Amino acid sequence: MVENRPLLTLLAHLALIAGVAVVAFPVYLAFVASTHPSSAFLSGTLPLVPGDHMGETYSRMLFSGVSTSGAPPLWLMMTNSLIMALSIAIGKIAISILSAFAIVYFRFPCRALAFWMIFVTLMLPVEVRIVPTFEVVANLGMLDTYAGLSIPLIASATATFLFRQFFLTVPDELVEAARIDGAGPMRFFRDMLLPLSRTNMAALFVILFIYGWNQYLWPLLVTTDESQYTIVMGIKRLANVADADPQWNNVMATVILAMVPPVLVVIGMQKLFVKGLVEQEK
Amino acid sequence: MARIDLDSVRKIYPGGVEAVKGVDLPIEDGGFVVLVGPSGCGKSTLLRMIAGLETISDGEIRIGGRRVNDAEPADRDIAMVFQNYALYPHMSVRQNLSYGLRNRRMARDEIARRVEETARILEIDAFLDRRPKALSGGQRQRVAMGRAIVREPAAFLFDEPLSNLDAKLRVQMRGEIKQLQRRLGTTSVYVTHDQLEAMTLADTLVVLNGGRIEQAGRPLDLYRHPDTTFVASFLGSPAMNLLSARVSGGDLRVGSLPLAARLPVPDGPVTAGLRPEAFRLLPDSTSGAFRLDYVEELGSTRLLHGHLEGQRLVCQMGIEHPLADRMTLDLDPEALHVFDAERGRRLDTAWQRAQIRSLA
Amino acid sequence: MQTKRTIFHNRWLPYLLLAPQLAITVIFFLWPAAQAVRQSFLREDAFGLKTEFVGLGNYLRLFSDPSYLNAFQVTAVFAVSVAALSMGLALLLAVAVDRVLRANQSYTTLLVWPYAVAPAVAGVLWWFLFNPTIGILPYALEQLGYDWNHNLDGTDAMILVVIAASWKQISYNFLFFVAGLQAIPQSLREAAAIDGAGPVERFFTVVFPLLSPTTFFLLVINVTYTMFETFAVIDAATEGGPSQATNILVYKVYRDGFVSLNLGSSAAQSVILMFIVIALTFVQFRWIERRVQY
Repeated sequence: MVENRPLLTLLAHLALIAGVAVVAFPVYLAFVASTHPSSAFLSGTLPLVPGDHMGETYSRMLFSGVSTSGAPPLWLMMTNSLIMALSIAIGKIAISILSAFAIVYFRFPCRALAFWMIFVTLMLPVEVRIVPTFEVVANLGMLDTYAGLSIPLIASATATFLFRQFFLTVPDELVEAARIDGAGPMRFFRDMLLPLSRTNMAALFVILFIYGWNQYLWPLLVTTDESQYTIVMGIKRLANVADADPQWNNVMATVILAMVPPVLVVIGMQKLFVKGLVEQEK
Repeated sequence: MARIDLDSVRKIYPGGVEAVKGVDLPIEDGGFVVLVGPSGCGKSTLLRMIAGLETISDGEIRIGGRRVNDAEPADRDIAMVFQNYALYPHMSVRQNLSYGLRNRRMARDEIARRVEETARILEIDAFLDRRPKALSGGQRQRVAMGRAIVREPAAFLFDEPLSNLDAKLRVQMRGEIKQLQRRLGTTSVYVTHDQLEAMTLADTLVVLNGGRIEQAGRPLDLYRHPDTTFVASFLGSPAMNLLSARVSGGDLRVGSLPLAARLPVPDGPVTAGLRPEAFRLLPDSTSGAFRLDYVEELGSTRLLHGHLEGQRLVCQMGIEHPLADRMTLDLDPEALHVFDAERGRRLDTAWQRAQIRSLA
Repeated sequence: MQTKRTIFHNRWLPYLLLAPQLAITVIFFLWPAAQAVRQSFLREDAFGLKTEFVGLGNYLRLFSDPSYLNAFQVTAVFAVSVAALSMGLALLLAVAVDRVLRANQSYTTLLVWPYAVAPAVAGVLWWFLFNPTIGILPYALEQLGYDWNHNLDGTDAMILVVIAASWKQISYNFLFFVAGLQAIPQSLREAAAIDGAGPVERFFTVVFPLLSPTTFFLLVINVTYTMFETFAVIDAATEGGPSQATNILVYKVYRDGFVSLNLGSSAAQSVILMFIVIALTFVQFRWIERRVQY
């Protein structure tokens, strides 16, 4: 701040408080709705303060599910989401760091070609090539499997570029010292690059975990078996039922449960997350 | 411990740039060779070729008589100290020292013994368990040295190891490196662009220019008898004065001013070299050929900057000498170096025969 | 392409390291993309029994199809609105946070978490808030004399998805604007202050121009986001309705391919979308190249 202008500072605070309120408002109402019995919604107006059915609704949704909507208990969906999110995050980090290592620390025929092939994945989001990708997964017999849920989403140009960028900042002398100390490529990778990339990996993990957890269209297509549903896609199913026969408390409890894990990850690892996100740009 | 031999070693980078243009250099077992030259002279490339970090385009490098052209750096039995130290940032000092030994599958108690021993020699025992980040520049430098010593290699390679230190620490570490090398007797190749560092450390000084050896020999020999104007101007601070001169009938003149006579040098234009400390200036306000521009006080001595026959000239003298705007040159002819004006090669060899003459 | 001064020499290891990434890229990216291109030149009959080569037929048909041209227009309106709304609010909040020195960490925490919310969840949340029978916002609007119904009114539906998509994107834009603001040297603002520029003037003459690289980057990112990642927002909130008022291009690809099983047309749409992404990626990378020179 260049000069002291209390009025402007006050204005800034007001804007921020309004911003925080607007951002939190829908989630607050969703939470309120999830704590009332379904009868509370029949009147046509929404209660604005939390009710007393929270424990009941959440334990019902988590452990027994709603028979009318044909959805399994949420803990099962959340487990599926967790497995998918972890597979995608860890898988992406693993294959990206290996590719980046190959591209930065070796010179070989077709290196530029490999680089461009990875780059191309940036240009082909799943939404764009949805029908043929689905066909490939179906032909490989990967529908309704965790592999089908996660592997097609694992290739990542962004993560590869991020690691490449980081490797380029690792001083050349470190490789040279390691080579003189008798480290071959894989030993150098294990003893130097992996430990040095820890922060980058953690930051990337946060972003990729969220990316994986929040997948919607892909699980919608490749899962038909209820036991493979993820929670984010499960909401839609519940909501469709709610439209006809309002069980808003159930839907909103699902919404809250679907966003708690990734939101906790972001808040808990805010510093890392911000660093990882803002550095993607470079 | 071993000798190192370089036979017509050349480095041609992809794209055709020739960084090293045929270098022959025998390095005695236990010798301390310093490669010195301006940036781009090929000194680092040469060192990195000995280390195995650059491929050798042509010629041969032998360490201990064994041809190592195609050997991995780890298999050459050398250790290297880098300019930025290249300490492994995520490892403690102890791990930094032992990493190379562990990779060679050395017995654990032997590793421990060597690390302790090295730490004791370098006085870094107190922070063996710290990370490099928690060390000062000087301490990091010691750890980098330690990483080389602990390996007990056939040769040490130093790549400008002191240039990241401040001036005072640099002088101190310079002394320590010299002592340590004497004590361990390990063949060492040391690269620097700092002529003072080169002069003080070397047993054999190798001046490189444009990918070729300009001159090699004992530091004082190079200082006293530089083969070329390049070596003459590179060694010594302030640098040697190089004046355009002309020889006719054995007499050397700068402009109209005669400096020496009966030189065994053919007629024609030459370059005359004068070390700043090799002559005196005497006040002579009427006929002195040297015109004083300004004086730099260095404490024990002073530098006199001025002109002689329209050419710049610097003289270093004790502070007791009187000053004047115009002064005459008092020159010991043995201190005069004569070089070919075109190629910069030394012309005068039989110096002693030149006749002493004190000149206006 | 940059590499290290020192590299490892190994004939097969780099290929082995690249193999997983390349295998996935070929199987799940390049092959399907090639299939989409091939499919876009074919047309199946109603029973899926016969396939014939129709050349550019699918493309020609698309561009004379009012519903496809409508999807283009809807996408453009949607993308521009979301980018403007979410970037505008994010910039306002970022400038405010930049001014509030002490509490900015807590404000940041309170503002960034929507990044973690799934687009589908954001869609459901706002769909709930705007629900004509139970939602609180239609109730409030009714008091103001406005009869909200996004199930019938196309404009209402568009407003709904724009708000839902922007709400989620504010946090992302906010973080980048904050980073951009922090990268502006304090001395520049001080110099402007000494030159007599007040806070508002300073923002428009010094701060905002220096933020333009960030703004441009975010513009591309936001357009990409609204074009592709908001699929879930649309599906959860409006399903492209009413009467295609929110049927964006990506959603149409999915509907035509999976619901109407019109594979040739869906494939042709995919190919067109790929060209759009390629163009956007190209713009983004040109920008990065240019920025490197700063």
